[in-house]
Amino acid sequence: MGITGGLNPEEYDRNYSDRELVRRIVRYFRPHIGKVLLVAAMVSLISILATATPILISRGIDTLAANPQLQLLLTLAAVITVMGALSWGFNFVSLWFSARAVGDVVLALREDAFRAVMRRDLSFYDQFASGRIVSRVTSDTQDFATVVTLTIDLLSQLVLVLVIGLVLLTQNVPLALITFAVGPVVVIIALVFRRLARNAMQQAQRALATVNATIQETVSGIAVAKNFRQEAAIYDDFQDVNELAYRVQLTRVAVFGSIFPLLNTVSGIAVSVIIYVGGLMAIERDISVGEWYLFVQGLTIFFYPITSLASFWSQFQQGLAASERVFALIDDEPLVVQTANEPVGRLRGEIVFDQMTFNYSTGRSAVLQNFSLTIPAGETLAIVGHTGAGKSSLVKLLMRFYEFQGGDLLVDGRSIRSLDLSQYRRQLGLVPQAPFLFSGTVAENVKYGRPDATDLEVETAARQLGDGSWLEDLPNGLQTDVGERGARLSLGQRQLVALARVLLQNPAILLLDEATASIDPLTEAQVQDALATVLQNRTSIVIAHRLSTVRAADRIIVLRDGQIIEEGSHETLLAQGGHYAELYTTYFRHQSLEYRPW
Amino acid sequence: MSRSEFTVADAYTYDHRSTLRWLQSHILRYKGLLFTFLLTTLGMASAQSMTAVTVGWAFDSVIQNEGRAGLTAAALYVVAAYVGYGLFDIVNSLAIRVLAQRVERNARDELYLSLLSKSQTFHGQQRVGDLMARATNDVQQISLFVSPALGTTTESVLTLLVPLVTITTLDYRLLIMPILFLIATYFALRRYNDNLSPVATQLRATFAEMNAGLAETISGIEVVKGFAQEPAEEGRFTHNAGAYRDAFVREGEVTARYVPLLLYGLLIGLGFGHALYLFMQGIVSVGQVIAFMALLGTLRSPIRFLLRNIATFQQSFASARRILEMILTETELDQNEAGVAQEMVGEVVFEGVSFGYGQFASGEFASGTSANGETSLVLQGISFRAKPGQTVAIVGQTGAGKSTLTKLLNRTFDVGNGRILIDQIDVRDWSLDSLRGQIGTIEQDIFLFSRTIAENIAFGARADVPQAEIEAAAQQAQAHEFIMSFPNGYQTKIGERGVMLSGGQRQRLAIARAFLSNPRILVLDDSTSAIDSNTEDQIQRAMHNVLAGRTTLLITHRLSQIRSANLILLMKNGRLIAQGTHEELMAQSAVYRQIFVRE
Repeated sequence: MGITGGLNPEEYDRNYSDRELVRRIVRYFRPHIGKVLLVAAMVSLISILATATPILISRGIDTLAANPQLQLLLTLAAVITVMGALSWGFNFVSLWFSARAVGDVVLALREDAFRAVMRRDLSFYDQFASGRIVSRVTSDTQDFATVVTLTIDLLSQLVLVLVIGLVLLTQNVPLALITFAVGPVVVIIALVFRRLARNAMQQAQRALATVNATIQETVSGIAVAKNFRQEAAIYDDFQDVNELAYRVQLTRVAVFGSIFPLLNTVSGIAVSVIIYVGGLMAIERDISVGEWYLFVQGLTIFFYPITSLASFWSQFQQGLAASERVFALIDDEPLVVQTANEPVGRLRGEIVFDQMTFNYSTGRSAVLQNFSLTIPAGETLAIVGHTGAGKSSLVKLLMRFYEFQGGDLLVDGRSIRSLDLSQYRRQLGLVPQAPFLFSGTVAENVKYGRPDATDLEVETAARQLGDGSWLEDLPNGLQTDVGERGARLSLGQRQLVALARVLLQNPAILLLDEATASIDPLTEAQVQDALATVLQNRTSIVIAHRLSTVRAADRIIVLRDGQIIEEGSHETLLAQGGHYAELYTTYFRHQSLEYRPW
Repeated sequence: MSRSEFTVADAYTYDHRSTLRWLQSHILRYKGLLFTFLLTTLGMASAQSMTAVTVGWAFDSVIQNEGRAGLTAAALYVVAAYVGYGLFDIVNSLAIRVLAQRVERNARDELYLSLLSKSQTFHGQQRVGDLMARATNDVQQISLFVSPALGTTTESVLTLLVPLVTITTLDYRLLIMPILFLIATYFALRRYNDNLSPVATQLRATFAEMNAGLAETISGIEVVKGFAQEPAEEGRFTHNAGAYRDAFVREGEVTARYVPLLLYGLLIGLGFGHALYLFMQGIVSVGQVIAFMALLGTLRSPIRFLLRNIATFQQSFASARRILEMILTETELDQNEAGVAQEMVGEVVFEGVSFGYGQFASGEFASGTSANGETSLVLQGISFRAKPGQTVAIVGQTGAGKSTLTKLLNRTFDVGNGRILIDQIDVRDWSLDSLRGQIGTIEQDIFLFSRTIAENIAFGARADVPQAEIEAAAQQAQAHEFIMSFPNGYQTKIGERGVMLSGGQRQRLAIARAFLSNPRILVLDDSTSAIDSNTEDQIQRAMHNVLAGRTTLLITHRLSQIRSANLILLMKNGRLIAQGTHEELMAQSAVYRQIFVRE
């Protein structure tokens, strides 16, 4: 997670009024109202005890000064001891239940955020980096928990300030006012400090980000540096950046290192004033010695919460901002919405694009304009064209990953907007360009779409691809661990797993986006064998990047700027000498054995 | 460390015998700062105790009707004590924070240097993410260890001890309760530490799990939605988030049971009672009772600080251990400065070469070792001969050992068995500088530094290459045209804030780099080139140019390249199953014929 991870604004962010924000937060706590009230009661009791202890001690001191009675004094000490124990007990209960309430609320919030993310169509995922989405769901909700814990803390401090303030006021007004005068001074210092701190903090974070980027670059490019024996040069560069970061940190250190000593000195001077003025009053017998003591103690108790209020305020605001981001994520609406949930059943696989118009987001130019195409059931259709011609868009629209703006898309004569989305998607088999595998075994990945499939079914599906010999090349066959995102398998092997996954699902329509990167020739041979199996008996749309695929297709369409400009078979199109012939020279020719550009 | 690919002459050496000693040696490097910190801490604790005692005096002087003089003096003392405290405090907090920053800087430097000195075997086995976590989060955690954790703990301990000494000056009998308190607190802290440790680990682990799981779901969202598996993913996430919630609650429960706070509450009451008892005996004055209570008051924040610091200490120790682990990982290669340094002709001979990743590494990084302890061989019995200037195409499935084979040549890794000869000299007898200087590599993933295009092309060449030579190299690599299409031409910055290059463009820059460094032997991995790159002709021409006159090991998937190579090595599962020219292999090898059957 980056240092500023999740802090950058996103397009769906919105501003909530403080009232709205509080209302939303409160709603999450409603199911735990009992625990919340209990915690509040405990926190108040702790504050009261915290005030009562110095009061009792001050009474004790008065008794000492005036008329010492052992019995009374010992009772007092016993009461204070019991109060100490009680205060700990209350604290225990409060922490115990607040951990539960906060844990449950954060869990609920995370689930809501997760569901909101899952509801979204792919336009959302295109727009926002996955790292940022993750940090909203996990880290921002975490900051929300911090807000709650801090709020409890701050409220208890506030109660304490109020209680002690009232007590001091009833004892002696002038002394109480001297005590209160500390408040504004601290607040002013804290405000100045906050501005300085924010600047120093930002600079320090930036410097740190630079250091980290430098290290990242070294680690990623270490092979190059080593092959060229450039270690000394990059080490020098690193040292410069590291030293610079250190110097920037020193500024931050100077700011943060001086604030608390400063605040403590202010409180010390205030204590001295109270000692002196209070002492004078005690000499004049305006107040008792005990009351004098109470003020000296009271100032410390009064001072502490104000300092912590000041220093935690920024953290509190950060947390609120985090909650705002989470709510914005939850509240944003998906664009793909079904008009009905008609059951789907087994599809025949006839597809009709009827005068369709589509763009990825409003304001961007249309990818498809009045696009029409009919694909009869069972056909293997290859789509070719330059990048950006709209090839993948056709497939993604068919998957209903995006909403289209005009016309209609009919499958077996029914608009895909009216179908039950889950049932419909299960009838489609998608093999994306860079097949994504989940960490786990090959078998687990093959049965991703059908978790209930038996081992035998998995094995059968896998063996149907080519002669099944690709399994022998995996270290543990079907039980091979594919690693994070399938990283332990080669691209070709990942494609084979993705094909097996689709085969097990047995879809009525197959959508295949061929990999644009080349696969080693041995695996290539296996993939081609596998494709022959998969394409049988179902409608297939292939975004073709391979010479062998276009040659084998029933029909090839050539797309340019969202329009079909040519169609036919490989031989007829090549003979025409039109756009297909040009594409062939650019994309397919160099895959052939005779290719020799020099 | 015994062996290193790269060393710096004047590097400071730290103690690597244990995590604790390592941290110690980092901190003790700045004895002046440390001494200043300790001295001022002592000053602060003394000033604080003095405040409490003078407050006591003030009360006594009022109670005993000594008039204003005593009070004024006491109040002035208090001011002096607080100001003194403030001054100590500033110096103190600056000293410890500066120390923390220096330790952070130095730890990062040490780690960085050790990463540079490690061989590619090591780097090949590390995930970048993991390395980065250690170099960033763990290093920062070390600074948190010094400040605030070590700083406030030292302060806390001294603030716990100095009042005790001060209490003795009031009356030694007052010590009973605080001492009992300290003993009990010591044991309570130890227990708390033991209880917190597993819970804190669990909390971190469950959070990481939740994060990683979610990241995976979102990266694979097309598959999730394509297979309509949203409910299953939701179940998985809820399970992970629930596990984190349970750990969170357990941590709350452990924190709630922080016993030292209870002990402190009891101390206030019992201490007060004891002081009152002593007062009734006529042993202490009212002022001394007050001073005593004020001293007990100073114990409160250390107790709270310790609560927070224990968690930090645990994390910091784990971080320090991870960093040290990485620094201590042994590396197998050294610079071999005394080795052969001469101009290469370019003959390459492999003689019965075998290699396995786990073969030399010791300890946890021996990850090439299989579960039963045996080293799994990536390459077995590879023998072939390439004459100077020949192109050798290496063909085989991913995982067959193709790129490992090429990496043995410039000693990215060393062979296990057999030997590799360049111009009849074992690569291990060449000086590393001379060897790597004359073997050029164009990797699968072309890595460019975020510097200018000119600097990237000249990377590895001597310091001041004339612009004309850089441009000539770019011309030969068919890169000049696209470079000039950028507004800043050769001065265009590449990378995050600069221009983004396509795969084909990166490849041509790497080729230009090879032209400039003009190696005798070239290792070229062309296996991930895109099929739909419409600059393919240019790239192929550039490659053709760069191969000319150099002995080349070429990993390729391109049928036409394979066919025109002087020698083709067909590999399967780490073995060489056939070698020869295209015509020979078509005649001999069924596996090889399979490749071309569709043509």
